[in-house]
Amino acid sequence: MIIDIIQILALGISLGGVYALMGSGLSLVFGVMRIVNLAHPAMIMGGAYVAYWAFRLAGADPIAMLPVAVLILAATGLVLYKLVFEREAQSARYSEMTVLLTFALAMVVEGLLGAMFTNTQRITSPEYATDAYFVGDVFVPKGQLFAAVTSVAIISALALFLKYSRFGNAIRATTQNREAAQLLGVNVNHVCLVSFAIGVGLAGAAGALVSFVFSFFPSKHWEWIVILMSLVVLGGMGSVLGTVLAAFILATASVFVGFYFGATWSTLTFFVALFVVLLVRPQGIFGEKPELA
Amino acid sequence: MANLLEVRDVVAGYGNGPAILNGASLSVQPGKVHCIIGPNGAGKSTLLKAIVGMLRLREGDVVFKGNSLKGLRPDQVLRRGICFVPQERALFPKMTVRENLRMGGFSMADKAALENRIDMIEERFSILKERRDLPAETLSGGQQQTLAMARTMILKPEIVMLDEPSLGLAPKIVREVFKIVQIMSEEGITILLVEQNALMGLKYANWGVVLDLGRTLFEGPADKVLGDPRIQELYLGGRRAA
Ligand SMILES: Nc1ncnc2c1ncn2[C@@H]1O[C@H](COP(=O)(O)OP(=O)(O)OP(=O)(O)O)[C@@H](O)[C@H]1O
Ligand SMILES: [Mg+2]
Repeated sequence: MIIDIIQILALGISLGGVYALMGSGLSLVFGVMRIVNLAHPAMIMGGAYVAYWAFRLAGADPIAMLPVAVLILAATGLVLYKLVFEREAQSARYSEMTVLLTFALAMVVEGLLGAMFTNTQRITSPEYATDAYFVGDVFVPKGQLFAAVTSVAIISALALFLKYSRFGNAIRATTQNREAAQLLGVNVNHVCLVSFAIGVGLAGAAGALVSFVFSFFPSKHWEWIVILMSLVVLGGMGSVLGTVLAAFILATASVFVGFYFGATWSTLTFFVALFVVLLVRPQGIFGEKPELA
Repeated sequence: MANLLEVRDVVAGYGNGPAILNGASLSVQPGKVHCIIGPNGAGKSTLLKAIVGMLRLREGDVVFKGNSLKGLRPDQVLRRGICFVPQERALFPKMTVRENLRMGGFSMADKAALENRIDMIEERFSILKERRDLPAETLSGGQQQTLAMARTMILKPEIVMLDEPSLGLAPKIVREVFKIVQIMSEEGITILLVEQNALMGLKYANWGVVLDLGRTLFEGPADKVLGDPRIQELYLGGRRAA
């Protein structure tokens, strides 16, 4: 019994680490730009394909390829912002428009990936992806663990950047009070541009890790969007740290559900959580609490 | 002496909406305290927003030290030396007091100089030093206003514009807020403030401006505004008390 709990925690926490990175970029972009980027999981998919092809064609390690995925996706983010979002930000119907826009964007990315790479299930399989550590009777899949550790390192770097750098402070200030930030000399359009690029870059990073943790195919991002939405909502829209904590909580809950009720039910955990949180506590668990941005 | 800032027949509104300002004019003289009064909805806040570029000018001009500010973004206007504290919600609620002060010097390139300025401000406003590591949202209303005003002093701007700094504060706290206005003025900062409490505002000001329906009805020395029987009846008593 106690062993089961420890096993669930070990799996839940390592899975949570991956979800945390998947959700952090979405949360950052929402905080700064008030955009729910429905295309975020499709961008993660893009990062996963970068890692996949690098592995397949050159045998490159997906974790080593992570910076490349980040650069490619961040550059994509810059271009997208310039082409699509910068102009849209001036529009009075900004919020409604961006939901449709990012939805369309998700479809376009899915279509492109499908056309280029077909709808075959893919996964990168570095050696560690199929190995596990055993501590007594508890096992931790190596791939998930490596992904979680990498993800926590990246998120910590992000948190330090937001807390201590000048530009990171400008990002937080814009999140908390856009008008005041601008009045103090922050070029908020520039902050949005860079935050969007960072957000999409984080999707690329998450994609590289996801590539050996889950099998994927272009349309799978629809399943991820629900998972990520539940994290962002539970974490209190726009709070990166809230999203990260929500990722650990919900991932552990889903492993628990999967363990006792069967794997088909574990994804349902996120759907139910999203629904329940929206109903009873729409500000999220950490809403209106100390600095979590 | 030449005017520091000149607002000339400004017409402006929100988005594509109706014009809220309909010929607002104003002259700001260096070193003085200016107070804009007028009924609710007169366009006082809108005028300050138009000056810093939060609204596009449809007609008229805003000239600062001989240069037009027309078309500049708020962050660019700030770099010219005009700092604006909007009505309420001027702070970053989840950032600490010290981080809020640091944001006040966001446009300063010299980091050491910035930290020095912050230390000086903290010395002067001890409450900000005591609460430096607490989130700004945990401060009382008066303390938050103190922080918002002190934060403008980091940059040593030429003009500070304050939109209803006394809003929602108890009378005793209001007096403290006006003391800070005096301190800023003594530092050589030119002040342009909007005040609901017109008597109080004009008492501390050198120059008064009456705005109604988006246009300037009168501007002149504050005591003249205070003494004018017509203005008294319309804006300093009768109507407000009703
Ligand atoms: N963001 C906005 N969008 C559209 N209209 C606005 C906006 N802000 C203010 N207005 C309108 O502009 C007019 C003037 O508002 P403004 O806030 O400038 O008045 P004010 O003189 O500052 O009043 P108060 O004393 O109540 O602060 C009002 O009719 C108001 O409805
Ligand atoms: Mg106002």
